[in-house]
Amino acid sequence: MAEEAPPLPWKADVQAARRGDPSAFESLVRSVQRPVYGLALRLLQREAEAAEVAQEALLRAYQNLHRYDDSRPFDLWVLAITRNLCLDLLRRRTKVKTEELEPMKEVLPSGDVSQLERAIATEERQSLEEAMATLSAEDREVLALYYVQKRTTKEIAQVMGCAPGTIMARLFRAREKLRKKMTPAPEEAAR
Amino acid sequence: MTPHLCPDLEVLFAELEEGEGPALDHAAECEACSAVLEEHRLMENDLYRLADPLPPPTLVASVMARVAAEPIPQRREVWSGVAILLTSLVGGLGYLLMNDQALGRFGTGVASFVVEGRLFAEGILSGAHALWSTAGLAVATTLAFLLLTSLLGLKRLAGNVPTPSEA
Ligand SMILES: [Zn+2]
Repeated sequence: MAEEAPPLPWKADVQAARRGDPSAFESLVRSVQRPVYGLALRLLQREAEAAEVAQEALLRAYQNLHRYDDSRPFDLWVLAITRNLCLDLLRRRTKVKTEELEPMKEVLPSGDVSQLERAIATEERQSLEEAMATLSAEDREVLALYYVQKRTTKEIAQVMGCAPGTIMARLFRAREKLRKKMTPAPEEAAR
Repeated sequence: MTPHLCPDLEVLFAELEEGEGPALDHAAECEACSAVLEEHRLMENDLYRLADPLPPPTLVASVMARVAAEPIPQRREVWSGVAILLTSLVGGLGYLLMNDQALGRFGTGVASFVVEGRLFAEGILSGAHALWSTAGLAVATTLAFLLLTSLLGLKRLAGNVPTPSEA
């Protein structure tokens, strides 16, 4: 009997990890560490905190592996955990001090960068990153998930726990804010 | 240029997403709207070229070190199964004993047990289900059997001996 559902590549590792196979969990960690850390850095804009939150999110994924529904994509599940931890931290941060968020100093990876990636790191990209860093956490999040991680609005809705339609509208608004930041003299004629 | 006729940006981008529509047709003719779309296209191109930064090389090792200090996830599953099982059994027992005060005789007690027992059989099943998927099936069966036997024993006692309220 042929399975109708598409293959779930994470399933075998999840099941092995549940039985206590550390190498299975390690391969799960490897498969999601980059998007997890990436989202945390976009939201928190501080490398040390992003690394800490990524670590915590992955540990919580392990601790809650028995609760995870393995018919759902594993990466989206861990991203949702990461997002919640980041939002908690941001909330605490604004409570502690109403300090202006520092723009991200360096989002480009320092080591292990391919020549191609270096070439792409143009002036424009820098200013795009800078413009993005001035947006709200909510706007950065939706842009990062959509453009950087190439997630569909449906997937983003799963991570953020809302309707896909909401994501489309949020994406539009975030893009508009970014466009305005990227354009020094906005053309009012378009309005 | 006809600024008063320019569509709302949200409408324009919604049509851009779909690939067609009157706002897009307008934009093809309108300088201002074309400029917005071009700007948007360039920005999207740049956005799509962004990549997630590489995580610190120590991340996997740090996570795995913390994972090593954790209990195996399935152990938790077994224990939560046992917890559910015990809770349902204790709950079921309390429920039966309380109702039994109203039903004086042993026969009625047994009859009510058969009926109300369904409620607690469901409890057992939900608990056992967690164990079933694991290797702990034998443990679950034995445990359930032991608990059931003692429960039936208690039931018998409660059925025969008058309760304090009746005495
Ligand atoms: Zn126009």
